[in-house]
Amino acid sequence: MSREGQKLDSAAGAGGVGIGVLSLDLLGQVLDRLREPRDRKACRLVSRAFERAEAAHRRALRVLRREPLPRLLRSFPALERLDLSACASLDDGSLAAAVAGAGGGLAGLRRVCLARASGVGWRGLEALVAACPRLEAVDLSHCVGAGDREAAAVAAAAGLRELRLDKCLAVTDMGLAKVAVGCPRLEKLSVKWCREISDIGIDLLAKKCPELRSLNISYLKVGNESLRSISTLEKLEELAMVGCSCIDDEGLELLSKGSDSLQSVDVSRCDHVTYQGLASLIDGRKFLQKLHAADCLHEIGQRFLSKLATLKETLTVLKLDGLGVSDSLLQAIGEGCNHLVEIGLSKCSGVTDEGISSLVARCSDLRTINLTCCNFITNNALHSIADNCKMLECLRLESCSLINDKGIKQIATCCPNLKEIDLTDCGVNDAALEYLAKCSELRILKLGLCSSISDKGIAFISSNCGKLVELDLYRCNSITDDGLAALANGCKKIKLLNLCYCNKITDSGLGHLGSLEELTNLELRCLVRITCIGISSIAIGCKSLIELDLKRCYSVDDAGLGALARNAFNLRQLTISYCQVTGLGLCHLLSSLRCLQDIKMVHLSWVSIEGFEMALRAACGRLKKLKILTGLKTVLSPELLQMLQACGCRIRWVNKPLVYKDC
Amino acid sequence: MEGGMSSLETAMKASSSVASGTARNADPDQQTVRSNSVEQFYFPRPGQSLPGIPPFFGPPSSSLYLANDNEAKVGNQFEPNPSQSTDWDPQAIVSNLTFLEQKIKQVKDVVQSISSRENQVAGGSCELAAKQQLITADLTSIIIQLITTAGSLLPSMKNPLSSNPAVRQLSNTLGSPMGFGMNANQRPSVDSKTDIPDIGKASGYEELINSLNTTQDERDDLIKCPNPCGGEGSEPTPMEDHDVKESDDGDHEGENLPPGSYVVLQLEKEEILAPHTHFCLICGKGFKRDANLRMHMRGHGDEYKTAAALAKPTKDSGSDHAPVTRYSCPFVGCKRNKEHKKFQPLKTILCVKNHYKRSHCDKSYTCSRCNTKKFSVIADLKTHEKHCGRDKWLCSCGTTFSRKDKLFGHVALFQGHTPALPMDDVKVSEASEQQQDSEPMNEISRSMGCFPCSSSDGISNLDMKMADDARGYYSPLSFDPCFGALDDFTRPGFDISEDPFSFLPSGCSYVQQNGDN
Repeated sequence: MSREGQKLDSAAGAGGVGIGVLSLDLLGQVLDRLREPRDRKACRLVSRAFERAEAAHRRALRVLRREPLPRLLRSFPALERLDLSACASLDDGSLAAAVAGAGGGLAGLRRVCLARASGVGWRGLEALVAACPRLEAVDLSHCVGAGDREAAAVAAAAGLRELRLDKCLAVTDMGLAKVAVGCPRLEKLSVKWCREISDIGIDLLAKKCPELRSLNISYLKVGNESLRSISTLEKLEELAMVGCSCIDDEGLELLSKGSDSLQSVDVSRCDHVTYQGLASLIDGRKFLQKLHAADCLHEIGQRFLSKLATLKETLTVLKLDGLGVSDSLLQAIGEGCNHLVEIGLSKCSGVTDEGISSLVARCSDLRTINLTCCNFITNNALHSIADNCKMLECLRLESCSLINDKGIKQIATCCPNLKEIDLTDCGVNDAALEYLAKCSELRILKLGLCSSISDKGIAFISSNCGKLVELDLYRCNSITDDGLAALANGCKKIKLLNLCYCNKITDSGLGHLGSLEELTNLELRCLVRITCIGISSIAIGCKSLIELDLKRCYSVDDAGLGALARNAFNLRQLTISYCQVTGLGLCHLLSSLRCLQDIKMVHLSWVSIEGFEMALRAACGRLKKLKILTGLKTVLSPELLQMLQACGCRIRWVNKPLVYKDC
Repeated sequence: MEGGMSSLETAMKASSSVASGTARNADPDQQTVRSNSVEQFYFPRPGQSLPGIPPFFGPPSSSLYLANDNEAKVGNQFEPNPSQSTDWDPQAIVSNLTFLEQKIKQVKDVVQSISSRENQVAGGSCELAAKQQLITADLTSIIIQLITTAGSLLPSMKNPLSSNPAVRQLSNTLGSPMGFGMNANQRPSVDSKTDIPDIGKASGYEELINSLNTTQDERDDLIKCPNPCGGEGSEPTPMEDHDVKESDDGDHEGENLPPGSYVVLQLEKEEILAPHTHFCLICGKGFKRDANLRMHMRGHGDEYKTAAALAKPTKDSGSDHAPVTRYSCPFVGCKRNKEHKKFQPLKTILCVKNHYKRSHCDKSYTCSRCNTKKFSVIADLKTHEKHCGRDKWLCSCGTTFSRKDKLFGHVALFQGHTPALPMDDVKVSEASEQQQDSEPMNEISRSMGCFPCSSSDGISNLDMKMADDARGYYSPLSFDPCFGALDDFTRPGFDISEDPFSFLPSGCSYVQQNGDN
C-alpha cells in the first residue's frame, strides 16, 4: 500500500496542491470521467480533496470483505449500486449490523447484488430492504440456501423492478407468490433453477405483475398452463424457458395468442418442442427479434421456414445449435432473414461451405457467427464470410480442423472489427497469428490445443493486440518463457490467461507475468517446472488475481503458498491439488487469505489429518466450496463438517484413495 | 329393527287416508303439549312410555312453518282416527303392552337391588359404578325398545311425516273449492293463518300466502296422480329449501331413479341416533351388527346355537322381487326428506345415519388439535385429524385452505392479500429470544476457549441463535493468535482484518433496534 501510494503520489504530485481549491462537485465530475477503478483509487490515495469528492459522489461500490462493510456504507452516502457478491463470509448479522450502522445513508440505494452470498438469510435481507426504501433491483442468484423466507424478505421492497432468484433452490410457489404480491411493479424476474415453482405460482405471478418485461423460467418443472398464464402479460418482451421439458408445442401455441410485445424467446433444450410449435409461435408473434432454439430441434419443416420468412424485417438472432441442417435450409434462412446479426450453428451436422456461403450471401449484418464443431467447413467458408460480413465481431471455429492460415488471413484482412475468435483445436500455426495480429480490436483469442504455435506467434499477437483481455493457450506446449515475456510486454490488459500444460514455462516466465497487474484468472495446471519463486512473483505482481489454478504443479511447496498467503489478498478461488504442501503451509494459507471462498485440495499427501482439520477450521466461515478426498470424511471431526455446512459451504468429496507420504 | 320396519310399512299403507282425519290444531293448549313432548324427548326418563311423542323436532333454526307442522302432528297424534288404520289389531297391542310392562318391571327390580346394596356395602364403590353403568346401558336399550314398541302400538303415528303433507294441504287448500273432507273441529283457514304473524314476521306471512297461491295448481295435479310408492300421501309438497348444505352423504347424485321405482323408508330420529340397531329380545342388550347379536344369542340357550339360528338371514326370504329401497330423512324441509320438491333419496341406512348426524345434529366432536373444527360424525373427525395441522395453506387475512391452488386463487382474487409463510409467527418469538439468550451463549463459547469468528464484529450473538442450523453453536477457530507463534513467515504488513472500531457500535445499535421491534 505504501509503495503504491508513493508511486502515485509522485505521479500526481504536480497537481496535488491545486486540487484542494476545486469544489467537490468539480472533483466529482473529474472522478466520474475516470473509467478505470484503479485510476480512481490512485486519485483517492494522493489527495484528500479527491477522497472527499469520491465519498460524496460515489455511486457504485463492490465490497470484497465483510469487516470494512459498515465503515464503507457510512462513508459513501450517495451509493446507488452495492455489490456484495464477492464479499467473503458475509452473513446475516454482519449485513444487518452494517445496514443499521449506515443509518439513513442507504436511502438512495437502488441496486444490490448478493449473488452467491450464501451466508445471507432473511434476517439480513429484511434489515437491508427496510433500510433501502428506493430499492429497485436485487440479485440473489446462486444463494442456494435461499428459500421462501428470503423471497418474502425481498418482497417487502414494494418498488422492486428487477429480481434474480436463479438457483435459490428452496424457493417455492409461496416465495414467488410473496414476491408477486409484494412487488407489483416487477419488470424483470429470473427464477431459473427454482425447481419447486409450479404452474400455480407462475399463474399468480402473471396475474399480479402485469408490468413484467423479462421473465426467465428456465429449468422449471412448469408446463403449458404456465405459458397460458404468461401469454396474458401484455408487456412481456423477453421469455427464457431453457430446459423446460414439460413444455411442448401446445404451450407455444398458447403463448402465440398473447400480445405482440414479445421480442425474444429462448426454448433451448426444451425436449418436447418441435418446429411446428415454433412455427405457430412465430405466426402469432410477428415482431420476434431473437429466437433461441438450441438443442431442441431435430428437424425443420417447410412450415417453419415459411413462417420464419415472415420475420424477415425483425429477426436478428437465431440459434439453432445441435440441429441437423442442409444447404437448402441455410439458404432459406439466409434469404428469409436478411437482418440477422447473430447466428448459432454450433454442433449442427451438415454445415458445409456451400451452406455457409448461401447463408451469408444475403446476411451482411452478421456480427456473431458460431460454427463450433462444424468440422466440414474449410477456408472457402471463411472466404465467403470475410467477403460478406464486414461487420464481423465474433467468430467461433472450435474444432474446425480443416481451416488454416489462408482462411484466417482472409478474415483478418476483411473484418477489422473482429473482437473475438475461437480457434481451439483448429491446428493453426504462427502464420495465422501473424495475420490475426492485424485485428487490433481483438479482445478474446482462444488457441487451445494448437500445439504448433510458438513464441513467434505470440510475439506477433503481442505486437499489435494491446486490447487483448483473454488469451487461452491451453496445451500450446511449444511456448516458452520468451513468449510470455513478449505477451507481458504487449498485452497489458490481459485478465484471463490459460497456460495449462505449457510445460516449458519456468519461473522466469512467471516473473514476466508478474507485470500484468490486471490479471484476474490464471491457470497454470501441470507446469511442473515452476516453484515458489515464480509463484511469489505472480503473487506480488498480479494484485488483482482472483482465481489461480496450480493443480499438479508438483514443485510448488509451502513457500509458494506462503507467498500467496502474504500477497494475494483478492484470491477467491484456488486449486492446489497434488502440490507439495504440508499442513503448516495449508493452515497458513487458509488462515491468511481473507477472500478465499473456493479451494480444491485433493491429493495433498503431505498434509496430515490434523493439518486439514486446523486449516479448515481457520477458513471455516469463508469457504463456500471445498473439494477434498472422500477418505477425509470419516477422519475429520464431525463438528468441523457440521460447521462448514452451517456456514453455507458445499463439500465435493472425491472418491480416490487416501495416500500419506510422511506419517 | 324388524318391528320398526314392519311398523313403517303398515304406516305407509295407512297413511294414504290419514289426511282426511287430521285436523289443523292451533290452540294454545296444543302448543303446550308440543313443548312438553319435545322436552320429554330431550330428557327421556327410564320406564316412561312415550306413545305420543312426535318423532320430529326441529332444531332451533327451523322456521315457523315447521313449528306449525309440528303442532299439526301433535294434534294428529292426539286425535287418532281408528277407521283409518286397517291393520289395527287389539291383540297385538295387548301383547306389546305386556312386553312393556315386563320390561319396566325388570328395570325397576335392578334399580331396587342397587339401592338396597347401596345401603349395605360401603366399600364396593367400584363395583357399584360398574353396576350403574350396566344399568344405564340397560335402561337405554329398554327406552329404545319402548319407543319402538310404542311406534308399533300406534301405527298411524308411526310415520307422522307422511301425514304432514295432508295437514299442510288442508291448511293450504282451505280457500280453494277443492278441499279435502274436513273435520268439524277444524278451524277456518283464516284462523290458522292469523296466528302465524303472532309468532313470526309479517313478511313471513306474506311469503307463505304467496307460496300457497303459486303452488296451488301444481299440487292439484300431483294429487290427481298420486305417488305410487306405498300408496302413502307422500306427494312432493312444495316447500322452501330450509336447510342445509348438500353434504356428501355417501349418496348417488347421479343415480336418478325415477320417482316411484323404489320404496321410500323413513326411519325415526331415535332409530337413526340409536347407538345400536340390533337388540336382544331377552336381555335387551344392543348390538351394532346382527351377526354380533346372533353370537350373543347363543348364551340364551341351545335353541340359538343351531346352524339355522346362526346363519345369516337371507335377503329374499320375504319377497320375490325385492323392491329397490331408498331412505328419506325425517327432517321436514331437508332435501333428503321425501316431501321435498327435489327429493333425493338416501341409498343406505348408513347414509341416513351420516346425513342426519351431519345435517341435523349438533357437532359435538371437536378436533383436539385445532380446537375449531367440529363434527357430528366421529369418522369425519378422525378423517380431519389425519390432515389437521398439515398442509395448512394460510393467507395473510387469516383464511386457511387445504390446497395450495385454492389459496393462490384467493390471493389472486383479493388485492393486498398474500400467502403467509408457516413460520411467520415463529419470527417474533425468536427475535425476543435472541437477546436473552445471546449473552450466555457468548460466554459459553468464550469459556470454551474458542472465539466465534464473527465475535470480533460484536454481532455474532445475532446469529448465535439461528433457528435451525448449527451455525451459532459451532464457532470457527480463529487462527491468527496461534499462528503468530508457529509462523516462520512475517505477517503481512497490511492486515485487512484490523478494523475494530466500526463494528461494536453498529452491532449494539442493531441489537437495540431489534429489541424495539
